[in-house]
Amino acid sequence: MSIMSYNGGTVVAMAGKECVAIASDKRFGIQYSTVSMDYPKVFEMGPHLFLGLAGLATDVQTVSQRLKFRLNLYELQENRHIKPKTFSSMVSNLLYERRFGPYFIEPIIAGLDPKTHEPFISVMDLIGQPCISTDFAVIGTANEQLYGMCETLWQPNLEPNDLFETISQALMNAFDRDAYSGWGAVVYIIEKDKVTVKELKTRMD
Amino acid sequence: MFDIKTDTRKMPIEHHFNPYEMNGGTIVGVAGEDFAVIASDTRLSEGYSILSRENPHLYHVQPHTVMGSVGFHGDSLTFNKTLQIRLRMYEYENNKKCSTPAVAQLISTMLYSRRFFPYYVNTIVAGINNEGQGCIYSYDPVGSYEREVYRAGGSSSALIQPLLDSQLGLKNQGSFELSRSYTVKMSRENVVALVKDVFTAAAERDIYTGDAVFINIITKDGVFTEHFKLRRD
Amino acid sequence: MFLTRSEYDHGVNTFSPEGRLFQVEYAIEAIKLGSTAIGIKTPEGVVLAVEKRVTSSLIIPSTIEKIVEVDSHIACAMSGLIADSKTLIDKARVEAQNHWFNYDEKMSVESVTQAVSDLALAFSDQEDEVYAMSRPFGVALLFAGVDETGPHLYHLEPSGTYIEYEAKAIGSGSEGAQQNLQDIYHKNMTIKEASKHALSILKQVMEEKLNATNIEMCTVSARDKTFHLFTKEEIEDVIKEM
Repeated sequence: MSIMSYNGGTVVAMAGKECVAIASDKRFGIQYSTVSMDYPKVFEMGPHLFLGLAGLATDVQTVSQRLKFRLNLYELQENRHIKPKTFSSMVSNLLYERRFGPYFIEPIIAGLDPKTHEPFISVMDLIGQPCISTDFAVIGTANEQLYGMCETLWQPNLEPNDLFETISQALMNAFDRDAYSGWGAVVYIIEKDKVTVKELKTRMD
Repeated sequence: MFDIKTDTRKMPIEHHFNPYEMNGGTIVGVAGEDFAVIASDTRLSEGYSILSRENPHLYHVQPHTVMGSVGFHGDSLTFNKTLQIRLRMYEYENNKKCSTPAVAQLISTMLYSRRFFPYYVNTIVAGINNEGQGCIYSYDPVGSYEREVYRAGGSSSALIQPLLDSQLGLKNQGSFELSRSYTVKMSRENVVALVKDVFTAAAERDIYTGDAVFINIITKDGVFTEHFKLRRD
Repeated sequence: MFLTRSEYDHGVNTFSPEGRLFQVEYAIEAIKLGSTAIGIKTPEGVVLAVEKRVTSSLIIPSTIEKIVEVDSHIACAMSGLIADSKTLIDKARVEAQNHWFNYDEKMSVESVTQAVSDLALAFSDQEDEVYAMSRPFGVALLFAGVDETGPHLYHLEPSGTYIEYEAKAIGSGSEGAQQNLQDIYHKNMTIKEASKHALSILKQVMEEKLNATNIEMCTVSARDKTFHLFTKEEIEDVIKEM
């Protein structure tokens, strides 16, 4: 049994036309027992910047808080909002610091550039090897299912509403075939002038 | 202080024979109202090597029944041969061809007969039953089986199954009614098109799936085949 | 008749110079001592009727069982050495259940008969050969059933030969009964008609007076493909209408 799937959970992000979306399930479990059904794994790191973490729950909390700490220092020092690309490097650095005793999480960074509003998505392994993607990124216990869904459902230049529909369908059908994730979902649609949060009602079994 | 050499030399050397290998491959089956579709990729691999780019994982076992079998290729071949023998014996003993549901039950008991040294295979059976309906049966390696409407098996099953749930099962689209039908309402052409799409997606992300898709469309008039190219990397 | 046979009667599996297996032929003779059994096939199903020889008023007639269920869709009537039939019926039942287990469908009547016939010649008196029997079976069977291809009636004899019939009589009264069947049989008989014919023919060949306790009767109907053994009351109803 991998420690990466001890608590379960899954995150997906998708790029659209001048928008990005990131979504996660809401399950928190200990192996096959579901402990909580209100445990989202997406964290707001700035007005247009979101971080999704899948893996060991204790590390999800630690990493999200340490990143918030470093991000606050950065923004106080620089007096400006961080670019998603810069934040991605910050995450990568933090993870690589623990190269030989890693946090058992994988992150997805999704956001819009504060100035150009260009969509940005990146994904990493647990020691911070980054991969910037132009289409979608998936992590977590339902990653295989999500690859199958995203590979067929995703298309370039989706409008925000279509992007919401696509990412929701991809996530729901994926985690319905994974015992470790599901039990509700939360979706963030990030646009230039607004961020929409939607909670999805899904099957709870 | 730590004399590793003398310590390790005291240990007996264990040699272990592993009788199984995973040779990859993906199969998909869909039951239509008067037809069944079963498709597989044609790649045969061992680790990072490709052993063959033109090895379909489908076995035409009866006029209206096709078995898909992936996992350990050696077991697939042996199981298929043993099944052929059993089906021929059935014909001699009962003066008729074995129907799809009978083949399905036979495969289950044959797999279970190796409960403690299993055939390392994922099996899907597709065919037409005595009522002329399309039917799909899927199995675990030790013979637990179920009639289903659609099923993906093999290395890309996790990628494809949720897609079939979405496109054929119409899951998460508002209706919570349980479908009591064993077939999809979709036309033959649309099912074949969907099968091509799901294999294209799987070949994109799974290194054990690729090269080509071999599609069998089973109707009362027999089995029609189609070949569709996939990426070869 | 039997004068010249002695030399070849020692080994049960030894051919005579004329190419005959005497022990098998004697076994067939044994059937002719048995009680009469009749089977009639109709488009609506198959009827079996047998006589029971209640030789003492102290016998409890219901314990004489000459019609048995092989599977829900197949019945079997017998004549000859009834004890020998137990092995054969066991085999028939096991084969039918095995077929269902392996193929999730009902076994055809012919396949059951074929499976049982395999046992008919599986006998030997050699000590080093282990078979269930040391001599041929002394019983003949009538298999009646309904399968995918409709109603069937098979006759199996100790030689292992089986033949399908429209109507067949076996046992001591078989010669007369078979002639009667020939006269009354027609292809569009109803199952009710066949039941009445079976009993009236049985009545003619039986030594005792036919009543509801000294016969047994069953049907396998083509409609629901199910074996049904007649109760005493049901037999009485048929007798009344004869």
